[in-house]
Parts: sequence; structure tokens; C-alpha cells
Amino acid sequence: MIRAGITSRLAVRAVLVAFALGSAAWLGCLDYAAKISTSVLELIPPGEQTREVLVMRSLAEGPQAQVLLFALADRDAPQRSLGALATAFADELRRSPAIAEAVALGVPAADEALGRALFEHRLRWLLPAWLARMHREYNGGPGNEAGFPAWMAERAAADLERFLARPEAVGMQELLSRDPLLLLPTLAHEGEKMLPLGGSGREGLIWARMRGSPFSEEGQSPVFAAIEQARVAAGIDREGLELKWTGLNRFAAASRARIESEVRWLNLFSLVAVVLCSLVFVRRILQLLHLVPVMLLSLLGAWTVTTLVFERTHILVFVLGSVLGGVAIDYGFYLFMQSDAYEGEPYGRKLRRLLPSLLASCLTTTLGFLLLLFSDLPLIRQLGVFVAAGLLCALGAAMLYFAQLERPRLEARCFPPPPGFLRSRRGRNLCRALAACAAAVALAGPWFVTWRDDIRQLDLPADDLRANDAAVRSLFGDQADGSVFLTAAPSLAEARRKLEEFHAWIANGGDRSRGVSLGLIVPTEQAVKALRGHLASLEAFPAEFRQALGRKGMTPDYFQPFLEDWRQMLGQAAEGDYQALVAEIDQKLSGPFALLANLRSSPYWFLTKTAARGPAAPPAELGTIGLDQLGSLNELFRRYRWSALWLSLAGLGLVIASVFCIYPSRRGLRIALIPASSCFLIFGAFGIAGQQLNLFHLLGAFLGICLSHNYAIFSAETSATASSPPVPVRLSAVSTAASFGVLAFSGIPVVSALGLTVSLIVLTALVVIEAETFAGPGRP
Amino acid sequence: MNTIQRSAPRAPAARPLALLLAAAAVLASAQPPVGEGAEQGFVRIEPARDADWRALFAGLASPGNRQAKFEERRYFPFRRDPVVLSGEIRISPGRGLSLSYLAPARNVVIVDGKGLLLRNEVGEEREAPPDDRIRTAASTLARLLQVDLAALGQDFEIHGRREGSTWSLLLRPRQEALAGIVGRIGLAGEGTAMRRITMGRSAAQRIEIEITDARDGLLFTADTLRQFFR
Repeated sequence: MIRAGITSRLAVRAVLVAFALGSAAWLGCLDYAAKISTSVLELIPPGEQTREVLVMRSLAEGPQAQVLLFALADRDAPQRSLGALATAFADELRRSPAIAEAVALGVPAADEALGRALFEHRLRWLLPAWLARMHREYNGGPGNEAGFPAWMAERAAADLERFLARPEAVGMQELLSRDPLLLLPTLAHEGEKMLPLGGSGREGLIWARMRGSPFSEEGQSPVFAAIEQARVAAGIDREGLELKWTGLNRFAAASRARIESEVRWLNLFSLVAVVLCSLVFVRRILQLLHLVPVMLLSLLGAWTVTTLVFERTHILVFVLGSVLGGVAIDYGFYLFMQSDAYEGEPYGRKLRRLLPSLLASCLTTTLGFLLLLFSDLPLIRQLGVFVAAGLLCALGAAMLYFAQLERPRLEARCFPPPPGFLRSRRGRNLCRALAACAAAVALAGPWFVTWRDDIRQLDLPADDLRANDAAVRSLFGDQADGSVFLTAAPSLAEARRKLEEFHAWIANGGDRSRGVSLGLIVPTEQAVKALRGHLASLEAFPAEFRQALGRKGMTPDYFQPFLEDWRQMLGQAAEGDYQALVAEIDQKLSGPFALLANLRSSPYWFLTKTAARGPAAPPAELGTIGLDQLGSLNELFRRYRWSALWLSLAGLGLVIASVFCIYPSRRGLRIALIPASSCFLIFGAFGIAGQQLNLFHLLGAFLGICLSHNYAIFSAETSATASSPPVPVRLSAVSTAASFGVLAFSGIPVVSALGLTVSLIVLTALVVIEAETFAGPGRP
Repeated sequence: MNTIQRSAPRAPAARPLALLLAAAAVLASAQPPVGEGAEQGFVRIEPARDADWRALFAGLASPGNRQAKFEERRYFPFRRDPVVLSGEIRISPGRGLSLSYLAPARNVVIVDGKGLLLRNEVGEEREAPPDDRIRTAASTLARLLQVDLAALGQDFEIHGRREGSTWSLLLRPRQEALAGIVGRIGLAGEGTAMRRITMGRSAAQRIEIEITDARDGLLFTADTLRQFFR
């Protein structure tokens, strides 16, 4: 081959260097903290309006995500009193600007403040719901000839009498002169029945909230440092205590660190796998170093274009895109390993000869990936651009790089022909039998495929952190056997009304465990509005109540403070603004109580906790979802999977249509069938093996089809002459399968799914290409 | 994605009952302290020094398991007649004290080193918060029923009266804060059997516990321990 002229070589080199420098300069100027996202929430479209996503965003961006839970323990002396040390630790935490609040639980001051507020405002906050319940029971029962006031007076006096025999009556008797309706004791009983304390009390437990977001640097390193400083300053280590703690920032930081580590080792092992494969096919291994600039320029281009196009890019794009090297190297192999058509063939002529195949392969694949731009999911859009840009850059870099080499030729090893048995009649029959089996699997197997989408598969499972989290939360009273539900709505009044309906649904559910929520404190808008009407109909209640108390052997005069409060309430104006009333309650909620509801901005929500695990998802009209349901976003991702499936099929159609435009129909059919049959065979095998598939198996299949499509194009010439496929095709397929095979060992489930799928499809396509040389009809 | 799941709020760490007990205690502390009235015939005693009383206290404090029946009468200032509850007391050294209410409703109240635990008839448990006031009341009750007068003597002035084999003790809190929590305590018995405990701030607001059928040195089965202790 005649090398290119010096001037043109320099020009080409200048173009490559300029591209590399320009890209490096752009990437060097980026603010990666702002540009690269690690939050899984950013994998979901910003415009997504489903209830699950809105609530999840509200949780992740609200104070709930900023909570830190700490537990002190003395293993040598479990009974040791830790209240003072917990208080000291909380005090030290509060000194840090990274911590917004910190309280040692079991210290009565904070509890007393809310207890006092509840007591003072019991008639405004608790009475509306109590009266509404009395009305419901009166209307639902046999009634009373004396009317509602007398019935209610008798009922309240009887409840009071029963209460006096309960264990807590002695401790609460001081409240009764002002609360004979038992508004607070009932609240305590209902609330506590469902939320028994875990462990042996709250001493040694510290609740804190940080200022920054747990997903940002502000909520990680400074907070970790503050905790360490507080630990030392409070003498936790000196006292020989164990400090366990949990918070979202621990998960976020660990996730980021593990993903970064994954990127490193995936790239390294991918490279090692490619080199090892190349050793099998290439004579002079050092010449392979010429492929490194091609791969690097491809990755550089992919990074540059993706970061130019998108304001923020998710880190998973780079994890998944790290295997682009395995794809990008294909063009290098094909150009670098091609023999000259004749002795001294100029590079330009050789390039023109190979260009149709290269362009057909690259442009159709690029087109297919660019179709992913129409996906709803930002991650898939970004991945589409990353791979498409990477492929174009790989082709351009390969064409230019080899143009400036003096002797761009990579010598391949000679392989012995396939065993004679394979070319015999028996061998061909065996191959055909295997092909028939494969066809059966490819046609029947996909019908057995089951799908399971779970957004948690996008993250690295952190079993150690999860176990620690469960242990700490159990000390704070979180029960593993309970269920947690969120009732959400755009308006506060609607959210509270739906909560009421959800609780009614729970209560009517037979063996379902009753739930507890802040709805015990926050009345419904309906109950607040009805209060005036109820009170107006209860004009006779004070007198009736006095008489009922007397009949129960009680001294009515003792309850004069309550009757006076009642009289004053009658004279007050009706609550005009429900939102303001709830805001007043919200102001009194602090610390852990503030996390039980979002009363400040839409979507408003209430948490309900049941002591036993809920049996089923509540009906959609209740506006309530279980946290498990929220955690997986299964339904949402099922929708995205279908969207991705249609896009992939459209992309595939486009690729096939392009092939038929470029190649004659028979050759086009072969090129279309090889990737499609490989894909169906692998999905069939997954279906029969019972492997559950997800969105990323689908993406892997799309990528695998595009790669197989390349090999089918590159081997079209040899297939027509019934000779063995070119070495570059073999090397490309094997190295791609190896590099994606490395991904199959990733700790991130979706990356593993993608790697496994691509690797298997590519290997299957190679086997089909190899087999067609001797198994086809009329072949020798 | 587990990070998102973790962001979901969980059960509150503070409990409504804790708040209410705290609120009740705050209100209670606004009540006038215990009166200083001296009862006739009572003399101040020092359990460690007075030989006559020391022998009685040694007899009262059984080192083994103890079980008895009790009837509790709760006097409220707004009710003419007391509320009457009945049940069984069990004391097991090392495990604490268990009050098993049988009527009018079944409940178990356990007082031990970990604090105070309420267990209802279906086995649901509620633990009182580690509030100093509740802890003080619980530990005082435990020491009373174990007749640990040496420990009680640190917090109470002890006054006693004897008539033949019958005896009465009056425990007057040394600190006003303690008086605000448990009020004045009276004990009465015959020989080495305790018959009656009274606690309260006034005649209208008190608890009387009559103890009968006391048996010492019992062997509690594993079932009994599981049912009545923690």
C-alpha cells in the first residue's frame, strides 16, 4: 500500500490533534458536580406527573430526605443510662453549620411543647373530628329519643367512666377537668396502639436533620465531618460507646463511590478482555496500540457531544457507555486488518473500496441509536446520543488515524479450516438439527418471557448499609412487619379527605390492621366546616352532660373548666381558613413529627403506618400508595419499557430498510436475518430459562442487533463466496462479546443485564455467520 | 434506588402517649405539694438503726419470688366512689414487679430495670418513655412492693406506728419534686405480711391497694415469666 503524501498526512494529524485538544479543553472546563448527576430521580423525565413520581420528588427534595438517625449503645453495659451523652452529642452536632437541627430523644422538653400545644388547642384541632365521629355513630345507630345532645352526653360520660379503669388514667387525671371528652387520651391510645416502641426506650437515640441535600456534596462530606467531630467532642469513643447512624447521604455517597469504582474496573477489564482476544487473532500484538487512539478519540467525542447536548448527564450513561470502546474498535479492526486488493494499493483507494460497508454499518447503527432521542427517559436519550456520537467519532477517527500511518496494516494469524466433520453430510445434518432447535427456541421461547422493572435495579445494592439502616430504624420504632402508606393529593383538603377515606377502607378491610397517621391531629376540611353546625345543634349539651356525669357518680362541678371552655368556643367565630388552621398545627410539629406529613406544599401527603403488613395495594381512587410500590416504580417503568420497545422496533425497521436500500434483496435479507434471529434466540433462551427481563435487556438487545448487523454487513462478501468470515469480523465479535461479558459481572443489575444480553447476541450472530459457510445448502 | 426508598418517612420516634404523660405531669406539677400534717402515734424511724423495725423489715423483704392478690381502689376528686380494680401481683428478684389486672379489664403493668411496660389482653405492648418522673414513680412502686426500705429511706422520711402485731408506715418524700410525683405513701400490715398500700396527694386523690393471699418462695414457670414479665 502506498502511504499518503506528507502534506495530507500532516493535515490529517492536525485535524486529529485539533479535535483531541478541543474536546479535552471543553471537558476540562466543565463543572462536573453540576454537569454529572448521580441521583436516580434524574433518570425520570422532569415532566412526569404520575402520583408516585411527584410524591417521590417531594420526599427526595423535602426535609424527609435530610433526616439522620443516630443510636448510641454500650455493648458491655446495655442498661447504662445514655441520656446525658446523647444530649451532649446532639449539642455538638448542632454546632456544625451542616446540621439544621438535632435532638436527643427521650428528653421531655420538645415533647412537652407539642403536648402543651395539643392540650391548649384540643377543641380547635381535635374536637371537629370527634364531633364528626359522634354524629356518624349517632346517625348510624338506633338513635335516642332524647336527641343528639343527650345521647352524646351519655356516651361521653360512659367513655369517661370506662377510661378511669385504664392504667394510664391515674397519670392523666389532671387533664380530665378540662378534657372529659378524652380528646387527648383517645389520641394517645389510638396513636400508641399502632406504634409501640421498639427496643427498650428512646434513651441514647438522636434525631437530626442536615441542611444540604443528601444527593449533593453539601450534604455529604461536611455532614460526615460534623458527625466525626461531634463524636470526638462528646466523648463517644472515650466512653467506649458504639455509635450507629443512618441517613440518605450515606447511601448516596456509597452509591457514587461504588459507581465510580465500577467505571474504573469495567474499563480496565474491558480493555484487558479486548487485548486477550486480540492476542488470539493478531500476530504482532504491539500493533494493537494503534487502536488505542481510535478508541480514546471515540470516547472523547462521545463525552464531548453528550455534555454539549445535555445540560445534565447521568453518571450511568458513562458506565454503560464505557463499553463503547468494544463497539468503536470494530471500525479500526476492519480498516486496519484489511488486506490490500493488490500490491501497493493506496490508502485512499482502499478506503473508498471499504467505505460502503463502513458507512452502511455506521450510519444505520447511528440512525438507530439516534431514534432513542425520542424516548421518554432522559437516560436512554443520553445513551442514544453518547453511542451515536461515539460511533461517528470512531469511524472518523479510524479513517483519519490510519491515513497518517506509514504502513497501516495489522497482520492476522492464519486459522486452520473447520474440522472436516462439519463439512460432511452428517456434520451438516447435525448443524441443521441444531439450527432447527435454535429456531424452535427463537420462535417459542419469547412467549415465556416475563418482565420486571424496578428502578432500584439502577443502583448498586448496598446490603451492609441496608442492614445498618434497618437496625437503626428498628431502635427508632420502625417495624419490619408493618406497612407504610402515603396518601397524596394536589391540595391539602383533598389529601386529608383521601386519608380519611383510606382509613375507612382499612377499617372495613376485616383483618387489615388499623393505621395511624397525623390525621389523628389534623381535622378534615369537612369536619372543620361542619363544626359550627354541630355546635349549634348542641346547645343543650352542657346541661345534659352535667346530668349524665351525675348519674355516673361524678361531680359535675369538677368539670366546670371544660364547660367554660365549651361556652367560650360557642362565642368564637368559625374557622375561616382551613389552610391557615393546618399551618398552625404544622408550626407546632418539629423533629420526627414533622416527617409524618407534608403540610406545606403540593403534593400534600400524609403517612399512614400499619402495625401489620398491608395485604394489597389500595384502590387508585384513594390516592394512596404503599412505600414498596413507591420504591420500585414498577408500573411507571413498565410504561417506559413499552415506549423503548416501540422505539427499538422502529429503529430496527429503519436499519433494515436502509440495508435493503443499499444491498440487493437476497443479501439484504441475510443481513437483516442474522441479527434478528440471534436476538430472538437469546430472548427465547431467557424465556425458557425463566430469566426475568427489564428495560435494559431490551436496550441490550437493540445494541446487540446493531453490532450483529455490522458483522453481517462486513461478512457479506465472504458469505457470497462461501468462504470463512474475515478475521476483523471474528476479532470484532469476540472482543465485543468479551468486553460486554465483563459488564455481565457488574454489581449494578441493569448494567449486568445489558452486558449479558449484548454479549450473548453478538456471540450467537458470530456462530451463525461461521456456520453459514459450511451448513448452507449446496456448500461443500 | 434504595436511596429513594430510604427517603420515605418512617414511624415517629416520639409517641403521643409520651407527650400526654408529659403534659399531664406538667399540669400535675402545678398542683399544691403534699401537706405536712403529722399523723397521731407515728414516730420517725431509721430502718438501719432501729433494731425492732429492722427485724420487721427483714421479714417483709423476701429474697425469693412472691405472689399475692390485690384490690386497687382509685379515688378521683370528681367521683364519689372509687374505681375498683383487682388482680395479682408478682415479684421476681431480677425481673421486677408485675401487676396483672384481671378486672374490669385485663392488663399487665411491668416495672423493671428497663422502665415501665403496659401489655394489654391481646399482648400489645406499650412502653412508657424514659421520663424521669415516670421512672421515679415506677421505681418507687417497685421498691415498695419489694419492701426495700433501705433504698426508700434515701428518698423518704419514714414514720412508723405499731400496735401489737399490726404496723403502719408513712413515707414522706424528702424532695418537693418527688412529692409532686408520688405524693405521700402509706404501708400497713400484720406480722411479716403487707396488707395495704396507699399513695396520693390527698384523701380525694389517692390509690389504695389491699393485698391478700400473699405467698413467698414460689417457683414461677417459664410460661408465667413470659406472660407477666419481659
